[in-house]
Amino acid sequence: MWELTFNTGIQTSKVAGRIVVVEHHRGDSEMTDSDRGTQRDRDSAKLQTEERNVTIHVAVSVCALPTLLAYLSSSWGVVAVRAAAFYMFTQQSLPACKPVLTPEWVIMTFLFIGFIFIPVGLVTLRASHSVVEIVERYDIGCVPEPFRIDKVSYIQDDSIPKNCSLSFKVPKYMKAPIYIYYQLDNYYQNHRRYVKSRSDKQLLHGQNQHGISSCQPVEVNNDRPIIPCGLIAWSLFNDTFTFIRNRAELKVNRKNIAWKSDREHKFGKNLSDQEDLIVWMRTSALPSFRKLYGRIEKDLNVDDVVVVYLMNNYNTYSFGGKKKLVLSTTSWFGGKNDFLGLAYVFIGSSSVTIAIVFTLLHLLSPRH
Amino acid sequence: MGRTHEAVLRTPTMIYVRESHVERMGKIQDVSYEILNVLEFNRFGCIFAPIILYEFFLVGTNVYSFSLLNSTRKRQSVVCRYPDGRLVLYCKGADTVIYERLVGGSDDLKKVTREHLEKFGSAGLRTLCLAYKDLAPDVYESWNEKFIQAKSSLRDRERKLDEVAELIEKDLILIGATAIEDKLQEGVPDCIETLSRAGIKIWVLTGDKMETAINIAYACNLLNNEMKQFIISSETDAIREVEERGDQVEIARFIKEEVKKQLKKCLDEAQQYFHSVCGPKLALLIDGKCLMYALDPSLRIMLLNLSLNCSSVVCCRVSPLQKAQVTSLVKKGARKITLSIGDGANDVSMIQAAHIGVGISGLEGMQAVMASDFAIAQFRFLKDLLLVHGRWSYIRLCKVVTYFFYKNLTFTLTQFWFTFYTGFSGQRFYDDWFQSLYNVIFTALPVIIVGLFDKDVSSSLSKRYPELYKEGIKNMFFKWRVVAIWAFFAVYQSLVFYYFVTVSSSTSQGSSGKMFGLWDVSTMAFTCVVVTVNLRLIMICNSITRWHYISVGGSIVAWFLFIFLYSGIITPYDRQENVFWVIYVLMSTFYFYITLLLVPVAALLGDFLYLGVQRWFFPYDYQIVQEIHKDEADDSGRTGLLGIDNQLTPDEARSYALSQLPRELSKHTGFAFDSPGYESFFASQLGVYAPQKAWDVARRASMSSIIKLSFRNQIEILNNSSGQIVLNEEKSRIQCSRL
Repeated sequence: MWELTFNTGIQTSKVAGRIVVVEHHRGDSEMTDSDRGTQRDRDSAKLQTEERNVTIHVAVSVCALPTLLAYLSSSWGVVAVRAAAFYMFTQQSLPACKPVLTPEWVIMTFLFIGFIFIPVGLVTLRASHSVVEIVERYDIGCVPEPFRIDKVSYIQDDSIPKNCSLSFKVPKYMKAPIYIYYQLDNYYQNHRRYVKSRSDKQLLHGQNQHGISSCQPVEVNNDRPIIPCGLIAWSLFNDTFTFIRNRAELKVNRKNIAWKSDREHKFGKNLSDQEDLIVWMRTSALPSFRKLYGRIEKDLNVDDVVVVYLMNNYNTYSFGGKKKLVLSTTSWFGGKNDFLGLAYVFIGSSSVTIAIVFTLLHLLSPRH
Repeated sequence: MGRTHEAVLRTPTMIYVRESHVERMGKIQDVSYEILNVLEFNRFGCIFAPIILYEFFLVGTNVYSFSLLNSTRKRQSVVCRYPDGRLVLYCKGADTVIYERLVGGSDDLKKVTREHLEKFGSAGLRTLCLAYKDLAPDVYESWNEKFIQAKSSLRDRERKLDEVAELIEKDLILIGATAIEDKLQEGVPDCIETLSRAGIKIWVLTGDKMETAINIAYACNLLNNEMKQFIISSETDAIREVEERGDQVEIARFIKEEVKKQLKKCLDEAQQYFHSVCGPKLALLIDGKCLMYALDPSLRIMLLNLSLNCSSVVCCRVSPLQKAQVTSLVKKGARKITLSIGDGANDVSMIQAAHIGVGISGLEGMQAVMASDFAIAQFRFLKDLLLVHGRWSYIRLCKVVTYFFYKNLTFTLTQFWFTFYTGFSGQRFYDDWFQSLYNVIFTALPVIIVGLFDKDVSSSLSKRYPELYKEGIKNMFFKWRVVAIWAFFAVYQSLVFYYFVTVSSSTSQGSSGKMFGLWDVSTMAFTCVVVTVNLRLIMICNSITRWHYISVGGSIVAWFLFIFLYSGIITPYDRQENVFWVIYVLMSTFYFYITLLLVPVAALLGDFLYLGVQRWFFPYDYQIVQEIHKDEADDSGRTGLLGIDNQLTPDEARSYALSQLPRELSKHTGFAFDSPGYESFFASQLGVYAPQKAWDVARRASMSSIIKLSFRNQIEILNNSSGQIVLNEEKSRIQCSRL
């Protein structure tokens, strides 16, 4: 028996000297087995023979799983499986898939991408095209002719009324709800010092002397904390819009314009109903952005003339920003944005084109 | 009459040898010899005292290893006393040295021995001459006094000992000559041929004499008859003539001139051959003495130019220092990557001088192994080391480095593009934690897995097509062009990430008409980056194991788990809760899913197209091999990996196993990791207590001597009537070779 064990030891250690685990377990059991009498000894010797076979078998062939499972019930088997798995790991002989990027595969992949992307793109484009959008710039039109030379002093002069009106014709039937946005251009809401000038703790817990240092430079006024503090809140957009159609006012619903999580978790009791502030404080990613102002919950028909009375309070003149009013319906996908649809169609169709070119090349000059 | 000798016991002053006579079966005779003096002047002298005598009787393979420090003597002597009080000086050494010191007469024996020596030499055997001399007690006593004096002198001891030895080492009587077949290890010629097909240039640096070296070079396929051989040797008549005159300055000047002339001539000729279209391959053979002058700063460039034109270079009779000098010459002069491989203590300096040192563990002791970067058990495993593991690790390293470069460039550039839209204020696009964990969690594991597991072709194919190694020599996978392509696609991808995500999010999302903010957009972009960068990794893999799937999938899942948790909580600390609920807001829109499908595909389309076109029209060698063998089953067996085949029959295996049982003798089997103390090392790794055995410690203390001794035990001496002792050495010693 001893010789036999040793023999195995030679064979295994000769290969790499790695299946030491098996050998040692074998050694342990020899000790315990020898206490249990000769019959047991004979069994264990038999078992060892089998186990040796297993070890070698596993290492040589990857697909020996059924054989191995038979041994799982005994502790020998478990050890062998573990040792084999560990061996394959350390010897880097794990079963592996070896993809080879043959021309066939390249062509098939491009075709597949094409067939997926073109339909998705068309559906997305259709959704985008179903959206009706009206954009009216008003920042210049709302400054009376005499003040156009110096718009900044006009907007800063409180004695001049800032009333203004603009009217537009609805080009297409717009189904309710119609979303009203204000759009600001060249407005860096993502500037580093602007973005960090807020206190989420104060917004949530209300009056809070502490933790408003992040609100610099507008955190206190006459030694009293400003609520809400910080540049973002300080610069809240304050133009207002009233919509008249056929001499009747169109009601604007200004509720539920902020994301629910902001309303319920990020802003405390005092502020959670000021949804225009919540919308404003979700700072935009780009210097040109839209923010939701409200909702008109009536359909607008073709050629309806809508008159907007607005208070042009917000100063974008000092930095050359633009202000626009946007009315838009939505689809299941969102607002009017062709980009995704076009990108899908473009990538899909170029994939198909590449696939066709490659197929022709493949047929004309097959590779050897 | 055939006799076998076996050492049964040795002490520092005595050695007991058991002689058994073949004719008289069963007659065994133990003879004890008392050792009086050992005329071997190096620092190992006393350690080797018993061995020299022992070697004398049995075999003396390695005269140089002993005489390195005193290569002028080229001999070893020992004085010993027989039990009956007879005093004998035994001397072994190079034929030239011994013949000079022989007593006159018995010319027949000398002549026949010389013939045998020539025959042995041309057969590639290593020869030694043996001689003895009976000493009268009074002569010995008077000589011994001088010897002790010389031994204890404080100044010029070497020279004095030399002189004293000269007094007694004369008028010797020739016993005969030994020839040792120093046969190459198994698989050496095949390995060397494969390596030279792999574009590796092989230089042999050996201590052997020119004839032996040439024989070995022929055996290794380094030389063949079609080659044009340039031989620069100091054994020419002109040089010998000058040497006989004995003026050292004159000798040096003359040899230098001679070497210069030779080099110049060879270089001119080599360049002619080099410029002709189908000239023969060139080989350079140079011996140690000439090399000493050729390595002179004024001639070094010429030597290097000549050697670089030659496809094989053999330097013989070189000292360890010269081995190191030649290695540094190539390393620094030619700016090539050098690898030294050797097994003996005399290879240590060159192993350390080269970029990569490989030691062969085995019969010559452990010095080479201890000094090396890699230790292998047999020379032929060098093929696996270089062509399989070396090549894999080169490819893996290139992939890991370029991929790291790519993934960080892609990630950072999205941030960079964003900066242009923030009024150059330096606002971060991503949340701080996204940035911090990007390299730590979200893209860390897959690239490690590639670094561990990637294989372009299997180990057996790597060896079957050694030409694949040339891609590494030319650095095909890490040159500027490769890095530039990665960088180009990183720029392209980052543009896709930034612009696709921001432009498409500029209008309201979902039917509720609500708008996204900065953090929604950046989280969307980051999701796309993580997914794309991880998928890109799959595209560089040549073999994809389940660990690849686990790591790539795991990284992407880790990102989602992280963002689900991170955006789901408001911390009590005073910080900005920028990404609060962001991922849930995103995932409530179709926009998220449509973009997540579009952006990675759009980003990877360029890479995919590039990979397809590159493989189709400008394939690398390994890709061709892959496609030739793509339908074959993977040889993931362990035999394929290490190249060790177990060709033993069960009986042989059993007897081999028995011979490996622990005993007083050497346990060196030549297999990997089979060095003293390894059992206990592995055992302790597994938590099993295995005490170091006494013979382990003892052997490590005097490694080389005892190994030699125990090894020699297995050698049989056949004493034939004409006085030669032909020795069959079962195991062999590898030539030191380097490339």
